[in-house]
Amino acid sequence: VTIPFRTRAHVFWRCLFLQAAWNRRGMQNLGFAYAIEPALDALYPEPAQREEALARHLGFFNCHPYMAAAIVGGAIHHEERVAAGEEPGAAPLSYKATLQGPLAAVGDGFFWTALRPFFGAMAALGALVAGWPAVVAAVVLYNLVQFSLRAALFRAGYRQGDAVVGLIARLSLPRVADRLRAAGVALCGAAAAAVALRAGGGVVGIEEGAVLVVAAAAGAGYLALTKGAPLFPAAYLVAVLGTLVAAVTGWDGTP
Amino acid sequence: VGYLLLGIVAGLAAVERKGFLQAMLSRPIALAPLTGWALGDLAGGLAVAAPLELLWLGAVNLGAALPVHEALATVAITGGAVLAGQALGTGVSPATAVVALLVGAPLALLGRRADRLVEVANERLAIFAEEALRRHHPHAAVRLNLAGLAMPFAIAAVLAPAGAWVGSQAATRLLQAVPSLDGPLRVGWWAFCGLACAAGAKALRSRRAGVIFGVGAATALLIGLGLRVAP
Repeated sequence: VTIPFRTRAHVFWRCLFLQAAWNRRGMQNLGFAYAIEPALDALYPEPAQREEALARHLGFFNCHPYMAAAIVGGAIHHEERVAAGEEPGAAPLSYKATLQGPLAAVGDGFFWTALRPFFGAMAALGALVAGWPAVVAAVVLYNLVQFSLRAALFRAGYRQGDAVVGLIARLSLPRVADRLRAAGVALCGAAAAAVALRAGGGVVGIEEGAVLVVAAAAGAGYLALTKGAPLFPAAYLVAVLGTLVAAVTGWDGTP
Repeated sequence: VGYLLLGIVAGLAAVERKGFLQAMLSRPIALAPLTGWALGDLAGGLAVAAPLELLWLGAVNLGAALPVHEALATVAITGGAVLAGQALGTGVSPATAVVALLVGAPLALLGRRADRLVEVANERLAIFAEEALRRHHPHAAVRLNLAGLAMPFAIAAVLAPAGAWVGSQAATRLLQAVPSLDGPLRVGWWAFCGLACAAGAKALRSRRAGVIFGVGAATALLIGLGLRVAP
């Protein structure tokens, strides 16, 4: 028994709701069951079998929401074999249990702490330099990358089952993540320069004091944050201190 | 109407942030301009977008850890700055932005507390789903997943407009009462923007981040100054 393309597309769409009811007991359990339901409907016409299959997918599950696409695809791969009597009912669960932890670690390390912050920094710099078209371009580019990877992982999981691990390993995501993080930091530095130039008067003139304020806040702020200073108090302190110093000295910060 | 629009934008962003899609639309860099656009001031929203994005670049949902609710605070801060700018007739200025920031930023922490409540409510949904399945209602069981989107929407839709109202009132009254504060607050805003860039660099957790951050800033500054000098 094979799942039609239309049903697989429906499952992929439902994967986008994986974390809709995230909870500490089963984490993404309800989301996973919701996502895979159309495939189970197609595989198990007998209600008792369908309910049994659904019940096994209501168990604990937690993974990175993008990487989970590979596991949902792979779970369908295994369910097809369970429905055909080629594998025991525990096979999809074993597949999920084996992959959810490692793929969560890869997804968190690549998407959440590298790719998205990189595009966030790129969009921020773009907003400062070129305005809203740069923001739109960065968001569209990010989504092209993440949706392509999500769809490819879902397809690979469905077609290859356990072999999807090899495909993910070949992508060398941790190495790419390291480079994206370094590039993201450079973009943050460039954003600090763009802010300083704006504060200093844009293209009209330059107010050295304003440039120095931004540079001092960025430099001292970075050192303080790396020494463990909490972000919120640091942000308040810097904003209030800048205001107070300017108020006391009578400087209005205009170029 | 403005506050209603703010509520809808904040609610949709809260849903997109975790429950559905996660396509970066609820990140400050996209959400602040969208909020500004909803209130008729795209440029005003864009003015606060970059520093807020960099400030909360590290706000990510790793495993079971809950980050601050940057989307909720972004709508409140942007809404507060835009509405104050409209009331004062100045548009979003550094002064209105920094006051809206100081008032609205704590909503990011409040939002994180609210997220914990949402998780508890979702736990009940999961239990209801198991019960529904035991009673042989599989479709009803899995559709409870979508009910998990309602509470984040409602919380953000209420809190964000309230935060924006407080922020806009604070900025408007302060700048009307003490107009001379406009200059010092401008300096406070620029100082905050500098720190936000540093926070972004720190959040990326790259090796030799300090050196890369400094080199990136110096290179861009030289390029910027060069472009300014060039005819």
